[in-house]
Amino acid sequence: MNQADFYSLLPIIVLTTWSALLLIVDLFIDDKKKGITAVLAAAGLALTMGLTLSQTGQTVIGFNGMVILDGFSTFVNTLLLFSGLMAISVAYGYIKRRGIERGEYYSLILFSIVGMMLMAQARDLIVVFIALEMLSIPLYVLAAIDNSNAKSEEAGIKYFLLGAFSGGFVVYGVALVFGATGSTAFAEIAASIATGNAETLLVLAGAALILVGFGFKVGAVPFQMWTPDVYEGAPTSVTAFMAAGAKIAGFSALMRVFATAFPDIAVDIAPVLAVIAALTMIVGNVAAIAQKNIKRMLAYSSIAHAGYILMAFAAFANPALRDDAISAGIFYLVAYAITSFGTWAIVISLEKEDGKGLAIEDYAGLGRTKPLMAAAMTIFMLSLTGIPPTLGLIGKLYLFRVVVEAQFMWLALIGILTSLISAYYYLRVIVIMYMKEGEPETVSESWLTFTWGAMAVLTVVLSLIPASLFAWASGALMK
Amino acid sequence: MTTMQVLFLFFAAIILGSAIKVVTTKKMIHAAFWLVVALFGIAALYAMLNAGFLAMVQIVVYVGAIAILFIFAVMLTRKELLDKGAALNNNKTIAALISLVFFGGLLLLLTNWSGFTKMAPDLPEGDMVAKLGEALVTPNAYLLPFEVASVLLLAALIGAVYVANEARSE
Repeated sequence: MNQADFYSLLPIIVLTTWSALLLIVDLFIDDKKKGITAVLAAAGLALTMGLTLSQTGQTVIGFNGMVILDGFSTFVNTLLLFSGLMAISVAYGYIKRRGIERGEYYSLILFSIVGMMLMAQARDLIVVFIALEMLSIPLYVLAAIDNSNAKSEEAGIKYFLLGAFSGGFVVYGVALVFGATGSTAFAEIAASIATGNAETLLVLAGAALILVGFGFKVGAVPFQMWTPDVYEGAPTSVTAFMAAGAKIAGFSALMRVFATAFPDIAVDIAPVLAVIAALTMIVGNVAAIAQKNIKRMLAYSSIAHAGYILMAFAAFANPALRDDAISAGIFYLVAYAITSFGTWAIVISLEKEDGKGLAIEDYAGLGRTKPLMAAAMTIFMLSLTGIPPTLGLIGKLYLFRVVVEAQFMWLALIGILTSLISAYYYLRVIVIMYMKEGEPETVSESWLTFTWGAMAVLTVVLSLIPASLFAWASGALMK
Repeated sequence: MTTMQVLFLFFAAIILGSAIKVVTTKKMIHAAFWLVVALFGIAALYAMLNAGFLAMVQIVVYVGAIAILFIFAVMLTRKELLDKGAALNNNKTIAALISLVFFGGLLLLLTNWSGFTKMAPDLPEGDMVAKLGEALVTPNAYLLPFEVASVLLLAALIGAVYVANEARSE
């Protein structure tokens, strides 16, 4: 193992060591003081984030091409570590309140992030698969972590079974691609396809199976069935992490695989991806209208947002637009992660121990009793819809621009129409908060307040200076 | 009888004996351990056939992964590690008949079989198991996936113990 190998994975190695040590240190921390474990876990994430940021602008290939450190991985890893910090911030008080506070909770979050980061750096299908399992298994356990609650257990087992099933699809796809091209390394797969040595049909079938596997992970239609049940049943702090983290990692892996391993079959795959994107937007947004439970509504909303991000993949077919499509996609992921963590923090503030307080009707009167919280919720709902002045709008604008440039007019049209549909159920939350009478009970917990406050400010402020953020996203290119 | 034949009979007896114990023993955990013995015996047969790689895969995959999985599942899910029901049920006559027919069919096929007409391609020179082992710990080969898999197993272990332990304490 030479220095470059070590350097390319330095943040991941540090975080893995930190999580393993955290498991041991946690043994000596009193059960009543598990907050210390949370602080230590957050410190590990912050340290790793510092290391990741210090690697900005560098390109290092490690382990004989298995992993790569480049602008893309630095950007995505920073976003993932930010999600991890937010996940700990929303969980800190909530899991204490629900009586599920355990040191393992934080270690599992760290292990999952290790998998996600490895996924963003993977340059070999074997690493992609192991990283996928590495990020999923802790999530299965986290979904079922409240095992005195049947719904949480149901969420865990459902997520586990479908996740294992989708993992099987990925392995099958990897095997077919390996059979067709004789390699699992992205660069060699691309070279083999470009020279025409590979059996095109086998490669296409393999790529399709990998797509199906990741479709499950990011909740794209028709592989979205698990999302509402799992999001509803899992403890809300886990759902928040799952919504942002798993999506970011899944999409970054999809982008890397399809941009660097299968660039020459992008033309064949783009229409399929466009149809999946359209279906995902339609199903997610239409099904969300009927929801009465806010967690289920946000689950369908997350499906819809997966559809918007998938639109970026339709633009892949045009090589000139590839970099723009990737920047637009990861910019949208930033916007979604910030908005969604803010929303979930407010959902957690209103949730009661017995699982009540999750109906949308429970938000009635929030505008009067908690004006600041209601204002923040308004900002998040506007951002999810894509109404100015929020980050959600900017994200959608960049996405629609690439889609239109890629000549997928019909897809952009569906995107705009479904955004209009989504306005109905997002704005309904705002209407209920301000127009209906009610006495909502909220929990005041400093880290929760910090999360939704900071996310609301970020959603608005970043939308005013989108150019600099987009410039950073544009610099996040794959090498 | 050559030494090889004696060894074969020895291992065959172990495999058959432990395989019978797998289905007759009442204790689930004993069944899992007898299965491990049977699988080790099969690995020994592979080794005798000069298929070192297969022998190793047999131990790693079947003994190392699948049998351990059985033991884990039994220990994590059952309070009592006993199977209380009868080992035989009403279908035993039919089951025995079907098994006999299959056994007869296989016997017929194998006695009339003329042997392999097509041989497997020769493997490159050298010790395959050693090469595989080297590949797993070489940074330029598969060191990274190998190491990450070990971290993955750690996370899975913590998760499994956590979920099962809590469920039992209620």
